[in-house]
Order: sequence, then structure tokens, then C-alpha cells
Amino acid sequence: MSDTQTGASPYRIYWVTWAILLVITVAMLAAEELHLPRWFLLVFLLVFMMVKAVMIAGNFMHLRFEKRNLAFMVGGGILVTSLILYGFVSRESRHVLEQTIR
Amino acid sequence: MHDGGHAAVMEAHWGGGASPFGASWQKTMMWIFIVTDALLFSGLLCGYAFLRQAGTQPWPRQSEVFSIPFIALMTFILITSSMTMGSAVTAARLGDHKKARLMLGITILGGLSFLGCQAYEWSHLIHEGARLTGALAGSPLAAEGVPPIFTQAFFVLTGFHGSHVLSGLIILIVTFTRWGMHKTPSQGVEMAGLYWHFVDLVWVFIFTLFYLL
Repeated sequence: MSDTQTGASPYRIYWVTWAILLVITVAMLAAEELHLPRWFLLVFLLVFMMVKAVMIAGNFMHLRFEKRNLAFMVGGGILVTSLILYGFVSRESRHVLEQTIR
Repeated sequence: MHDGGHAAVMEAHWGGGASPFGASWQKTMMWIFIVTDALLFSGLLCGYAFLRQAGTQPWPRQSEVFSIPFIALMTFILITSSMTMGSAVTAARLGDHKKARLMLGITILGGLSFLGCQAYEWSHLIHEGARLTGALAGSPLAAEGVPPIFTQAFFVLTGFHGSHVLSGLIILIVTFTRWGMHKTPSQGVEMAGLYWHFVDLVWVFIFTLFYLL
């Protein structure tokens, strides 16, 4: 049901998304300053980076209001390709590092 | 698009037909363009990950090289401009011509401010000795032990993103002018908005992976 149907302002979604994005950004900056364990910081920042990306794509770019197959094509395509690429890159970088150290 | 045409577009399903994604061809093409452009940044970020993971020189603490509050300000500007852009798209859809123009104008101001901040950051770092090939010998950055791949990654990632901000701004200014002259339909504003949000989306990844991690 759209915002106009429920009587809420159609602009509300942008304000709310904007506020949440700002809170997440401040939390990420604070985490970086807190000298947390590296693995925890890594997971924390990566998770919230993805949350921010989903919020921008879903609410600002209206992807969650589009047909699901469009969202699958966009989100799935980028995510799967990036993960495969990173998988190869990560493996190769370890190999190069081992060779350099030797 | 008249009502019958719009209904036909929205009723299309997985089976394909005239509109498999339930969107106009303009929007579908824009999304396909965004996917390809996102893959460009995905490749750049993976290249950055490779250089960083395979490097033997220690990675400097970003807060010692950059002013993180300044980068946070740039992030704030971009997120805010995305919010005003979203409002412009909705106002255009609802036929609120004045509000759409106002929001587009604020978005353009946000984009200009972001580019100004980036120009300042680049000139500051170049002044400190940063070059595409690494830190200049004897410069403050070289004294801090900044490895060449750090400045390379900085210029390539922020340079590509900045060029997208610049092209986004040109699109926004053209859309703003044409909207003011009643020569652009609301879909034109929506297309410009999609591109602008994409620029914001890419920044989320650069901000986290390069400036924070």
C-alpha cells in the first residue's frame, strides 16, 4: 500500500531513510575510533555498508517497489559477480604475498 | 504513457513479452546501465583489494592521512542530496512542479558542494606529496611511510567516483533546466534520480572500504 493511500506524506520515506543512513554512518565512524578488535570492526563495517546499500537501492532508487525480477537482476547480478571476482582476487593475492615473502 | 499501456507494462511477468521487468524501456535500460557501471566499480574495488592484500608494506591509518570528519561531511552532503533527489522524483510524479524544481536545485547544490570538497581533498593531498605513482620522495606523505598503492588506489577510486558525480551533475543541471521549461516529463527526473542515487551508492562502498577499513 502506498504512502498516499495510508495518508502519510509521500516524502516521509526519504526523510526516514536519510535519518537512518546518517545514524549508521555515525555508528561506523564511532566504531572506527573505538579501537575494537579488527575482526569485529571488519564484520561491523561490512554489515552496515550492505545495510546502507540496500536502503539506498530499495528506498531511494525504489527497487523494493519494482517487480521482483528487476531487483533480482540488479542485486543478484552485481552481488554474485562481485563475490566471484573477489574470490579469485583474494586467492591470487595470498599466492602473490607468499611468493613475495619467500 | 496512457493508462492502458501502463497497465500492460505492470502486468508483464517472468514470461517476458513486451515488458519482462514491468518497467518502461527507459527505466529498464537505465537499470542495465547501472548494473554495468556497478560492475566497473566492483572491478576497481577488487583491484584495490588485490593490491592491498598482496602488498607487504603496512597500510597507513587513514585518520593519519585524511581528515575523517571532513570525509564524513562529504558523506553527509551526498546522503542529503540523495534524499532531496528522491523528494524531487516524487514531487515530479505527483505533478508538484515547483517542489520538484526546488528539490532538484538543492540536489545540484549538494553535488557542487561534494565536488568542491573533493577538489579540496585532492589539492591538499597533492600538496602533501601524493601522486598517482606514489608519494613524492621527501614529502610529508613519504615520511609517514605511505605505500605507492595507497595513493594509486586513492586517485583511481575517488577519481572515477568524482567523474561520475560530475556527469551526474551535468545530467541534473540539464534536467533542472528542461523541467523548468516544461520540456522534461516526470520520467526524465526519475532517470536522473536513479543515476544520482547510484553515485551515492558507490560512495557508500568507497567510504567504508577505502576510508574506514
